[in-house]
Amino acid sequence: MTLKVEADRDVPSSDTVIIRVEGEVDVYTSPRLKQEIMDELAAGRTRLIVDLNAVEYLDSTALGVLIGGLKRARERGGDLQLICDNVRILRIFEITGLTRIFQIYRSRSEALAPAT
Amino acid sequence: MADDAAGVRVELTIPAQPAYVSVARLAILGIASRMPFTYDEVEDIRLAVGEACTHAIARVQAADGAHPNVRIVCTVEPRRLQIEVIDDAPATEAPEAAPEASPFDEAQLGGVLIRILMDEVEQRTDPETGAHVLRMVKHLLR
Repeated sequence: MTLKVEADRDVPSSDTVIIRVEGEVDVYTSPRLKQEIMDELAAGRTRLIVDLNAVEYLDSTALGVLIGGLKRARERGGDLQLICDNVRILRIFEITGLTRIFQIYRSRSEALAPAT
Repeated sequence: MADDAAGVRVELTIPAQPAYVSVARLAILGIASRMPFTYDEVEDIRLAVGEACTHAIARVQAADGAHPNVRIVCTVEPRRLQIEVIDDAPATEAPEAAPEASPFDEAQLGGVLIRILMDEVEQRTDPETGAHVLRMVKHLLR
């Protein structure tokens, strides 16, 4: 069981970070994702984009961490958004109704495209 | 393992610790993959069992860890797979979902997932042992 969480700050805006997640996010590993989200918010980054494209498995604990991060980001005037084009993972967001509260992009370039 | 009409039982006992939920998921992946479920159905079963084990571990930990194991009992039948996730934590007075809980509360999301992913879901207390049993069934549709 492995989980890799990595912050990519090579993005156009200093208040934005892409948190790349790879592996299985469950009750055992999700505290690491939560810590990374908290660290980025504490460092003043308010637009957190969590890239789930390399995630193989995700459960309700992971959903709870993402929802908690979204609430905290919005309290700071920011947002927590997702990158995901994995049909299996997207289905979990769909059946729990979470596609209504998260902005979900298919790719990094889509997430970082200037607003039109 | 002969899959006769009476069903074949496969049992796994894991420590009630988060690190072992992945072990239960791997085991159920192996069992469900032996049956003619689709890839998506196998993934549904894996997620539901992971959620059920996470829930059982939370119950055990809330009851100060005095009953340190979770049992997963699978019954393989020709047309269905039944999985029981069993813990010995005593029933609590508090309802599982507090009235003020957000609709996106983590524990509730786990329950929602199990109910959507599986065809039958039932929770009960074993009258003989007092154990908490979460029983789930997935049917073979083809």
